[in-house]
Amino acid sequence: MGAPNRARSGPALSFRRLAERSTFFMPAAILLLLLVFYPIATTIILSFFSGSSFVGLGNYGAILQDPATLNPNGLSGGPPYGTLVNNLLWIVIHLPLSLFTGLVLAVLLQRVRGASIIKSFIFLGMVTPLIVIGVLLGFTIEAPVGFVPAFFGSIGLPSLDVNWIAHPTTLLFGLILGSVWSWTGFSTIIYSAGLTTIPKDYFEAARVDGASEWHIFTRITWPLLRPVTLVIVTMSLLWELKLFDIILGATNAGGGVGGAADVLALQMYRYAFVALPPEANKAAAVACMLLLFTTLVAGFLFRRLLTGDAPKPRAARRLATSTRAGE
Amino acid sequence: MSSSTQSGTEGAGTGGYRPPRPLIKLIIAIVAVLVVSNVVTGLAVYYASLPPVSGAKVVTVVGPWAGNEKDAFLPVMDQFARTTGISYTFTTTRQEDLQTSLPNQFAAGQSPADLIFMPSAFIKTYAGQGYVTSLTGTIGPSTYKPGALDQVTANSAIWGGAYTGKVKPGFWYRVSFFQAHGLTPPTTWSQFTTLLANLKVIAGVKNPIISGDGVGWPLSDVTEHFIATYGGASMHQALTAKTLKWTDTSVHDLFATYLVPTLQAGDWSEPITWDSPGVNLFWNGTYPLYFMGSWITGMVSDPSDLGVFSLPGGVANQGIVFAADYFFVPKFAAHPVEAKRLAAFFASAAAQTTQVRQGGHIATAAGVSITAYPSVDARVAGLLTGKTVLPDLDDTIGGTFQTTFWSQLQLLWSDPTKLDSVLSTIQAAT
Amino acid sequence: MAGPVLRLPHIRLRTVLVHLAAWGIGVAWLIPFLGVAVVAFRPLGEVALGWWNLSPFNPTLANFAGAWGNSDCPLSMGIRNSLLVAVPSTFIPLMVGAFAGYGFARYRFPGRDYVFLSVVLLMAVPQQMVAVPIFKLMLSVGLLNQFLGLILLHSAWGIPWIVLFMRNFYRTLPVEIEEAARVDGASEFKTFYRIVLPMALPAFAAVVVLQFMWVWNDFFFAKIMLQSTDRAVATLCVTQLSGQFTRPWDLLSAAAILTLLVPVGLYIVLQRYYIRGMIGWTIKG
Repeated sequence: MGAPNRARSGPALSFRRLAERSTFFMPAAILLLLLVFYPIATTIILSFFSGSSFVGLGNYGAILQDPATLNPNGLSGGPPYGTLVNNLLWIVIHLPLSLFTGLVLAVLLQRVRGASIIKSFIFLGMVTPLIVIGVLLGFTIEAPVGFVPAFFGSIGLPSLDVNWIAHPTTLLFGLILGSVWSWTGFSTIIYSAGLTTIPKDYFEAARVDGASEWHIFTRITWPLLRPVTLVIVTMSLLWELKLFDIILGATNAGGGVGGAADVLALQMYRYAFVALPPEANKAAAVACMLLLFTTLVAGFLFRRLLTGDAPKPRAARRLATSTRAGE
Repeated sequence: MSSSTQSGTEGAGTGGYRPPRPLIKLIIAIVAVLVVSNVVTGLAVYYASLPPVSGAKVVTVVGPWAGNEKDAFLPVMDQFARTTGISYTFTTTRQEDLQTSLPNQFAAGQSPADLIFMPSAFIKTYAGQGYVTSLTGTIGPSTYKPGALDQVTANSAIWGGAYTGKVKPGFWYRVSFFQAHGLTPPTTWSQFTTLLANLKVIAGVKNPIISGDGVGWPLSDVTEHFIATYGGASMHQALTAKTLKWTDTSVHDLFATYLVPTLQAGDWSEPITWDSPGVNLFWNGTYPLYFMGSWITGMVSDPSDLGVFSLPGGVANQGIVFAADYFFVPKFAAHPVEAKRLAAFFASAAAQTTQVRQGGHIATAAGVSITAYPSVDARVAGLLTGKTVLPDLDDTIGGTFQTTFWSQLQLLWSDPTKLDSVLSTIQAAT
Repeated sequence: MAGPVLRLPHIRLRTVLVHLAAWGIGVAWLIPFLGVAVVAFRPLGEVALGWWNLSPFNPTLANFAGAWGNSDCPLSMGIRNSLLVAVPSTFIPLMVGAFAGYGFARYRFPGRDYVFLSVVLLMAVPQQMVAVPIFKLMLSVGLLNQFLGLILLHSAWGIPWIVLFMRNFYRTLPVEIEEAARVDGASEFKTFYRIVLPMALPAFAAVVVLQFMWVWNDFFFAKIMLQSTDRAVATLCVTQLSGQFTRPWDLLSAAAILTLLVPVGLYIVLQRYYIRGMIGWTIKG
């Protein structure tokens, strides 16, 4: 933990105090070094080896050329597209949809009686184990037990009155939409909390000035929610990249029909825990690719932490002050 | 920091900082109850799970069976304990979990049990790495039906033993349904397609054949049946041994001639969860034909109304898939002597007679009397005569091939025009 | 007088529409859960062609009994095992993280912010990134298939967010009292224990709720760590029931309901702390 720089109180620290202070970090340091940092480093090293011989980026190359990762036929023939594309698709569809739905719900629920009950309903998907969500989604889109195919059948769309589990396109998009359903609780709750931090007189003043609701939303609500949006976007991206339980619960270790709903995390799991004999090096390479993406995303948000005491953007500062004022 | 942001939604105070005391107490109470109750149960579980102080003669067994299957298996173990005086412990662990943990335990010089049931592919793989005790001399082909040990024989040594297994004989139908509509089981391929055409026009029939789904294995079973019938036992064996490519013209033609046209003609239902509602929809005539293993006899209300026919008009040397359970003695077994005695016992007609008597299993050992079987199983056992017994293809290869095989067949069912890419993806996974 | 009278119907219609929409969406959101609940309470034969077919309708608890006492993976055991794992996996990282978070909030040392950032960045690491080495490590020290191994893993994994959360929380507390205590010669531990800890209890509650739920809901770590059936936690039991070969929707639905009862119940009782934790963990970064 290094030598004391300068305690806030001023005087140099005694050895006793220094030892005490180090002790505050010790348990965390030991657990993290042993069970997080060490395995991460090992996995990174593993990803450059094949057996005991160094192969550089060979594992990465092999994975990227595998149709399970990127399926060249998918572009013309529809899914399966491959894990990398599927993760990307999840981001492209899931992120805007869950963000938008959450925002609309949060704004809508602002002035509704029993809003907290409705929010609890929507939030149920966040509290439930993801593996259960997966089983539940599989159950919901499978014919003839699930209601989704039956619903489309009853409104006269026979092309969607099929077993969604059994066809690549319906499986993939069914699960993406289903994951929007389960994750929207997050954006709703965070946006709702963000909305309460906007002082009410902003709205009232605007209304007195005769501003339309749309105007209020675009000029006041949305700009002031920007830092909240940033958080939701980051968390959603991480969630979409780490997707695993839902797919496994709804389909199987192969990612469903033709691997249509396969994702990177599941691909890693197959290499490490299904393959016979296990392909630990390829598994490590997939995990490292995943780590690269999540770190890029997280770095985007967490960079702010480094500048902890530095001036924040205006809106963020306002959010922070109003937050503190609430306490 | 955080209390504020939710204050608006929760209607909490906006004044100074006030920890909500009553709730804290409630939490502490809940936590205390949780901690106390769990310490108690934890200790109880810990002491209950401690291994008994080991006597002289004990053997530990790990197998995949739970529930009814386990209840049907334990009498065999009891019989062993009675006749040898060796006590046993049996632990249920799923094979897919063992597949990951065992190699690592072997590498660390450990083994969770003295005798373990695993697929033949696993046994062979790790025999090659020196982690499996040879059973040559303990068991041998002479006490088995022909070919029963082929999957666990390598380098002229026997690495594992075959236990009982299950048969996947063909398409099941309701005799009463066929009688009511004047239908008969087909004996040629064209009769088969005619039968499908006739079934299609019967009122209430959605598709002639139900495609069972779960995670994909029922589709692989029926595909194997097509291969073993129209490509013969040799093609099935060559694909299992990976000496024949899935992209080979002979394989491709087989799919294109027999399976794909029926898929495109709408003879097969969409994949439907195989047991429920699958079996019900078969039984009530929505889908009058069902390709399924022999265990279907235990899933319908009147097994005597069930008829079964294999695909007709195949090549001369046909095969029939018989999926046996295999066991092995790991190198690091703590009680190798007892484990070998148990292995010899599992290979014996005595043990397998006890097992098949419980129903649902077919013996691999020679000398199991046909009278030992419940009547439905006796009929299934009879179907094996005259055909080459084949191991389950995807079980034998195992690993990621199996998941790929299943999911690619699901893809073929969804879109039969993708045959070429399906076959090449399967080939790439071997 | 005319103004309010005129405005009243306008507001009411709008309010009614908003309420209708909001409640409609809220209830629609529950449909998948409703389906599972209906299946869980009815024999499979009745619902195999759709749970919304209400005739015949013979509600039963047999599915719950079947899942609770299942011979393959009894939920009674799964839930007990989940508790055995989740309770220590909640309190160990809480203690560890509360200390480290305090250190990051109050102590200065060179590179502190970089160390802190690297710890917080761990929140982004996918579980798959550590799976293989953890598996081998746990095996070599004999902790594979042991609750203790899984507990330690969850504890380590929970530290980053708890450190972030607690550090942010401490920074909202006035530092003067602590300084005064130090000047009076109180040790660091005493300062923490006497002054900081009592004020931090609400934050601890939030940590407890969130961490408990994450551990309870975890599937991947349990899947790779717990091999034998008698160690399975609830989430593993759910997949175990669906097995390699079948999807018994009746048992699965009952098991799903039983598994989610604990986190949902906890959420209902301690909602404010949960949401507080969720928001504190995210927004206040």
